[in-house]
Amino acid sequence: MKKMNRKKKRGLREFLYVLPFIIMVALFCYYPLYGWRYAFYDYKPPYPLSSDSFVGTKWFSYMVSNPIRRKQILQVLLNTFGISGLNMIFSWFPMMFAIFLNEIKCKPYQKFVQTVTTIPNFISWVLVYSIAYCVFNSTGVVNTVLQNLGLTDTPVMFLQSSDHIWFKMWLWNTWKNAGWAAIMYIAAITGIDEELIDAAKVDGANRWKTILHITIPTILPTFFVLQFLNMANFLSNGMEQFFVFENSFNTDTIQVLDLYVYNLAMKSGGYSLSVAIGILKSLVSVVLLCIMNTISKLTRGEGFI
Amino acid sequence: MKLKKLTSVLLASAMLLTSLAGCGSKAADVATTDGGNTATQTTEAAASDGTMVIEIYDEAANYQGIQEGWFAKVVKDRFDIELNIIAPQVAGEAIYQTRTSTGNLGDIVLLDSVHLADCVKNGLVKDISGDLANYSNLAAYTEQISYYNSGLEGNNGEIYGIPTEMMNTSPTSYSQDVIYSSPLLRWDLYKELGCPEMKDLNDLIDVLAQMQAAHPTNEAGDPVYAMSLWPDWDGNDNMIGIANVVQLTTWYGEKIKGSAILNSDGATFSKITDKDKSYYKILQFLNHAYKAGIVDPDSGTQDWNAACAKMSAGQVNLMWYSWQVGFWNSQDRLDDGTAFIYIPVADQNYYTEADAYFGSGRAFGIGSGVDEAKYKKILEFLDWYASPEGCTFQHAGIEGFNYEVNADGTYTAINTNALMDNLPVPEEYGGAGYSDGNNAINQWIVGSSSINPVNGESYAKDYWSSWKESTLTEMKKEWQSQFGADEPAEYMKKNNKLVISPNVAVSLASDTPDMELARTECNKALCDNSWKMIFAKDDAEFDAMWDAMVETMNGVGYEELYAFDCEKYQVEVDAKNSYK
Repeated sequence: MKKMNRKKKRGLREFLYVLPFIIMVALFCYYPLYGWRYAFYDYKPPYPLSSDSFVGTKWFSYMVSNPIRRKQILQVLLNTFGISGLNMIFSWFPMMFAIFLNEIKCKPYQKFVQTVTTIPNFISWVLVYSIAYCVFNSTGVVNTVLQNLGLTDTPVMFLQSSDHIWFKMWLWNTWKNAGWAAIMYIAAITGIDEELIDAAKVDGANRWKTILHITIPTILPTFFVLQFLNMANFLSNGMEQFFVFENSFNTDTIQVLDLYVYNLAMKSGGYSLSVAIGILKSLVSVVLLCIMNTISKLTRGEGFI
Repeated sequence: MKLKKLTSVLLASAMLLTSLAGCGSKAADVATTDGGNTATQTTEAAASDGTMVIEIYDEAANYQGIQEGWFAKVVKDRFDIELNIIAPQVAGEAIYQTRTSTGNLGDIVLLDSVHLADCVKNGLVKDISGDLANYSNLAAYTEQISYYNSGLEGNNGEIYGIPTEMMNTSPTSYSQDVIYSSPLLRWDLYKELGCPEMKDLNDLIDVLAQMQAAHPTNEAGDPVYAMSLWPDWDGNDNMIGIANVVQLTTWYGEKIKGSAILNSDGATFSKITDKDKSYYKILQFLNHAYKAGIVDPDSGTQDWNAACAKMSAGQVNLMWYSWQVGFWNSQDRLDDGTAFIYIPVADQNYYTEADAYFGSGRAFGIGSGVDEAKYKKILEFLDWYASPEGCTFQHAGIEGFNYEVNADGTYTAINTNALMDNLPVPEEYGGAGYSDGNNAINQWIVGSSSINPVNGESYAKDYWSSWKESTLTEMKKEWQSQFGADEPAEYMKKNNKLVISPNVAVSLASDTPDMELARTECNKALCDNSWKMIFAKDDAEFDAMWDAMVETMNGVGYEELYAFDCEKYQVEVDAKNSYK
């Protein structure tokens, strides 16, 4: 009886340990879901929600209510998938970068490269755009050089064109994030047992073969876990980057889902519609995550959630 | 063991408290709605020496925080209050939503007419009809104030809003020297070409192209273009479309109201998508200008600051806002004739709003949450704000620092660069920079060209006889003899080029969520396509883009929006026409 009591007490104490976190999660992750109700009303501040403004699923059907809107939402989805897809296709890039970085034998130079490539991660997108504007505007560095070399008479409007915009966005994103994304892989590489590599060397493996048969296979699980997690975020490619680079000339091909929601809700009061889109996005993301988890279970024998 | 237990319990509870601290603001809000007194006491305690802090929710302000410097001293000396300004232009529009949903927007609110109507309906603004008569400076504007409030839906004589920028002239007169938007060119460059007469926009393009050919770069060697546009302001001020284009439509007597164009007859509306109307005409003008090589290629991607820097560096040859010349026209440039001034184009007639007799549309109100003491204080403050003394502080500045009083009671301006150069203010007037300490409310009850009863001249220095005398430069004299008028507005009146729209202040219908969304989407489609059209290669491409744009706009609800806006602004048009 006494033992039972002590166990109970310990349980209670441990429960108290986690209680703050439970409260926080409830407060910041689950309580906001209550805000989903706005999707079912005609909401307009400062008018409170009332039964008069209840509109059911109006905002959900609104998105596909006529050919122009269907075209718009399809284009937005296409942009989202295009840009996310491009990132996914090139997701091996930071991994390879980390591997090659690790092969640099001159330590100070290695550290230097790593620092230089990591720093852009801490620059906000707004500043990145200012840099881009200074470099690529009609009187910027690039145009001045091109004109001085006689390659072109009229300035080339880099920022104003919508050509290859997905690829350009991927380039900017990689410039900013590659160093940071490589950190995870560098950590994984450091964890490789030295003996494995030594043994391979004794067996006559050159550097290339060590990479191919030891480094890559060891860090592949890390790669897959990161990919699967990214998959769940397939629909959210963030909005800051596209928001700063968006202009009237490239908006058709750069407007991704997150930016679309922002443009609708924050530029004026399309709150209800934005919430409706947000709900759909969350649901799709949850489904994607579950699918990826199942695939992971089937192929690797273990899930990641 | 016991100690350990105690520590763990303490730690756990500390964490719990920290996590709950996030909800602090919520708790405070509850206090505000439940008992106004508790909340007021806390705010009052905020000022260290017992000074009352007045929160002003201010849609005109460009500064957020406690008012500082000389204006803070003026207010504190008279009322022992501090002004805490909450500026949605700084904090973002979302602050309106959050503050209104807590039920307390501010002690004083300064809102546009649509927001005011919404807030009145939701009980956020106090009725001051019972007390207005006791405050003589405000009571002097009773006609305008009751007229404004009678426009609020379902109003039975309550007074909620005090309109801003009211004038004591009449709703149909025009007493300014320059109008808000007209073609402004560099006088020296125009004279160099022999002051050619311009019949229409094509001639204007020719003149600008010749100017640019003669002077392709500024002194620093940077390229000069006739015009440099900026996209930041697109869709602002309740007018859909590119802000720069929207402004130029007033050159042909038309005015954009929401998604509709008010025709130059001042009575009927047309669609903004109508090819015979001024939006199309101006867009085409900009496209032709682009093809003539006189539009800055960065126009569509630069921001307002970049455009501003170009204006100040002399990289543009055409300006169109009356205030825009402030980036170039210094006293030196006016003296040597290199300043911007209005040059007429023969086929234009300009739309302008008459003197703001009934105000500019925004209005001051008092928050419904204030207690009796604060309420009285606010009324005293607003009454002073509309008094000759208050107006002189707002429009002319400090006696002895910004102006001197002449023997006949009129004023002469001194330290005229005080605002531009943020001159240090002497300690006795409150210290700090002049611009830093300037009235951050940034909106007045009485307009600046109203007449000061103390000396019979306007409050703003631009119309003082002493000022006119000192600014009559050689350039102005040349201009006067060329066009046979003293001032641009006089020239326009003489030549029948001015469409003066009577000033009214009516409360307009607020958008339904559907209309709000249609407005956003139509605006986006219109702006995005308009920018592409400015940079179109030829007329065929231009027209193809226009047609595609109209189709898109119709698809996202333009027809409904147009019908809604016609009905919405008909109220205003009817009021205007009642003065004709």
